[in-house]
Amino acid sequence: MRWKLGLILMMAAIFVVAVAACGEDAEEMVEEEPMVSRLATVQERGHVICASRNDVPGYGSLDANGRNVGFDIDLCRAVAAAVLGDAEAIEIVLITAAERGPTIQSGDVDLLVRTVTWTTSRDAGWGNYIHTTFYDGQGFMVSKDLGVSSAYELAGASVCVTSGTTTELNMADFFRQNNLEYNPIVFEDTDVVLDAYQEGQCDVFTNDRSQLAALRSALPNPGDHVILPETISEEPLGPVVPHGDEQWFDLVKTVIAGIIYAEAYGVNSGNVAAMAAGDNVKVKRLLGTEGSFGQETLGLRETFMQDVINSVGNYGEIYNRNLGPEGIDLPREGGRNALWANAPCTDCPKGGQIYAPPLR
Amino acid sequence: MNRLLYVQGVPFWRNVVVLRWAVQIVSAVLVIAVIAGFFGNVSREIAARDIPFGYGFLDREAQIPIGESIIGYHPSDSFAYGLLVAALNTVKASVLGVILATLLGIVVGVSRLSPNWLLNRIALVYIEVFRNIPLLVQLLFWFLIVLSLPTVREGYVAFDAFYLSNSGVNLPWPVPQDGFWPWALITVIGIVVAVVVARRLNSRETETGKPSYPILTGLAIAIGVGVIALLILGPMTIDVPSPEGRFGRLQGGAELSGSFTALLVGLVMYTSSFIAEIVRAGIQSVSKGQTEAARSVGMSGILTLRHVTFPQSLRVIIPPTISQYLNLTKNSSLAAAIGYPDLVSVASTMTQTAPAISLILVVMLTYLAMSLTYSLIGNLYNRAIRFKGT
Repeated sequence: MRWKLGLILMMAAIFVVAVAACGEDAEEMVEEEPMVSRLATVQERGHVICASRNDVPGYGSLDANGRNVGFDIDLCRAVAAAVLGDAEAIEIVLITAAERGPTIQSGDVDLLVRTVTWTTSRDAGWGNYIHTTFYDGQGFMVSKDLGVSSAYELAGASVCVTSGTTTELNMADFFRQNNLEYNPIVFEDTDVVLDAYQEGQCDVFTNDRSQLAALRSALPNPGDHVILPETISEEPLGPVVPHGDEQWFDLVKTVIAGIIYAEAYGVNSGNVAAMAAGDNVKVKRLLGTEGSFGQETLGLRETFMQDVINSVGNYGEIYNRNLGPEGIDLPREGGRNALWANAPCTDCPKGGQIYAPPLR
Repeated sequence: MNRLLYVQGVPFWRNVVVLRWAVQIVSAVLVIAVIAGFFGNVSREIAARDIPFGYGFLDREAQIPIGESIIGYHPSDSFAYGLLVAALNTVKASVLGVILATLLGIVVGVSRLSPNWLLNRIALVYIEVFRNIPLLVQLLFWFLIVLSLPTVREGYVAFDAFYLSNSGVNLPWPVPQDGFWPWALITVIGIVVAVVVARRLNSRETETGKPSYPILTGLAIAIGVGVIALLILGPMTIDVPSPEGRFGRLQGGAELSGSFTALLVGLVMYTSSFIAEIVRAGIQSVSKGQTEAARSVGMSGILTLRHVTFPQSLRVIIPPTISQYLNLTKNSSLAAAIGYPDLVSVASTMTQTAPAISLILVVMLTYLAMSLTYSLIGNLYNRAIRFKGT
């Protein structure tokens, strides 16, 4: 009899706790948590946290002094300079390709800049894509002595790829569409993919063309490898911010637009002070000495672009330093990654696709 | 009122029954609160961050590459099928790994107790080296060893049928033909007959003391029946691998890919060093009197091990060995680092086009199911060999 009483008591207790726990959930779901903006969080923290990489020259790697350098890293620095006035106030979190989605979904980083291709399902599921900062496409690299001249001759090959990438999925689509038999080998780390390719475990290495070029330049005999002419996909690369904070989303968009217009207006890290004192209205608006293009709404200083350009440079400088002549030497002029036009000259287009919303 | 608070003259706060229940209730409340808190937190965060969740994706086309499959795979197959393919890859690594690690572990563990000094020391070094280096490092080491082999076009070939290269090992392999199932049936019958005969002979040997060679006779019957049926029915042809096309990749036969070979070697080496220590501990746990008694009736060292110490040590060996099997299975998830498409590796590829949390739950449940299966088999075996009360 007594143990039955105990049993009933215990059941009652479990029920009460379960109801309490659920009730608590329901309450918290309804009640809006007091929203602390990401901008305020970053300013209080004193640095910007960016998820990136250090294994591909040009995009994200370490220089001789162990400093993070690269195109993606510089975009992170530009945001830090805009928000905090200090381009060095960054923390780089190293992640693998497959970790990119979960990392940005968790909201633990402020910015994801790790050669991330903009796709619709990622935009829906991962975070908000800012802007395309580099137009890429997927290609194949093979050893020259195999005598392959086209991707359509790759039947029977063993192909290495990094996991969790659009390249992995595009590769599957390409071989399936063209009815080519192949053997995919999928690795977690780009380093290991490169090892397997160099040792000939796989005949083909597939990745974005610019990354292939960058990685080829780091091989012992770059001339022994050829990148096949076919481009099998669109790979627009750009930074991503977490869902849920529109001010931060717009802020990063504005910083990227700022560095693109800085190049278009001819403002670079060497002439910021002179240009700010000059008489071009658009330039003065960009540099915050006259008018405004939304700095106040975004929570930024009027002159934030001066800090950005002084420390990181304009889009062209960032490109040249990392991907251009001073970096891995990808051609730019005449290609898709040239500016659309050198403003304010609107009828002298340069034909590229790098373009940003007007700063007004 | 008094009656409620005082049961048989003892106040309720000193009543053993009440106290016992109170402890149970408090711990139940705590456990449930923690679980409810956890799930509440997860569901809240999923909702707050718009993280996709659900299982509608399982029927959709997976459209991802999977390099190896026991049951065949095409990117147009569904996510559910892709997960099955990946799970079977994990099972393949796990089952082969468990078998090889057990055999190697027993050999090393027994060698560790050998009176032969050299053998003993070699076993010691083996155990200490492989037990004390992190598995991921070992896997990458074996993978680099595999990579340092020549490429498939310049690899080693024996008899134009056996190939070794950094793409793996390729062997001739039988392919079933029309007569396969009749042959399999006849062979199974042969094995059953062989077992029955061997048992008869064994009990005759025990009863009469006449040497009757039960194992030899049984083997002869089983193999004889199988081979004769094989020759008459011709149920299988041998598929010999051969290089194809511009890239010289091998087609046909059976392939152990370079990544799989590295994974298997790494897992077997690592786990067998633990099993060896378990085996050594088990054998040493058998009372020394048993060995002395066996030796005094004239049994040799090997016979003592085979018939006296090892069977008794099994009761000590099996439970911790089962947990090594579970470790091996879970450790196989490091395969993603060296390019073997195991469950974790494939699921992480799928997270690009399917909800990550749903996939993680599937992966967790699959590993749980595998581990529980091993535990079940182990516990059943353990029950079968335990001391029976007289």
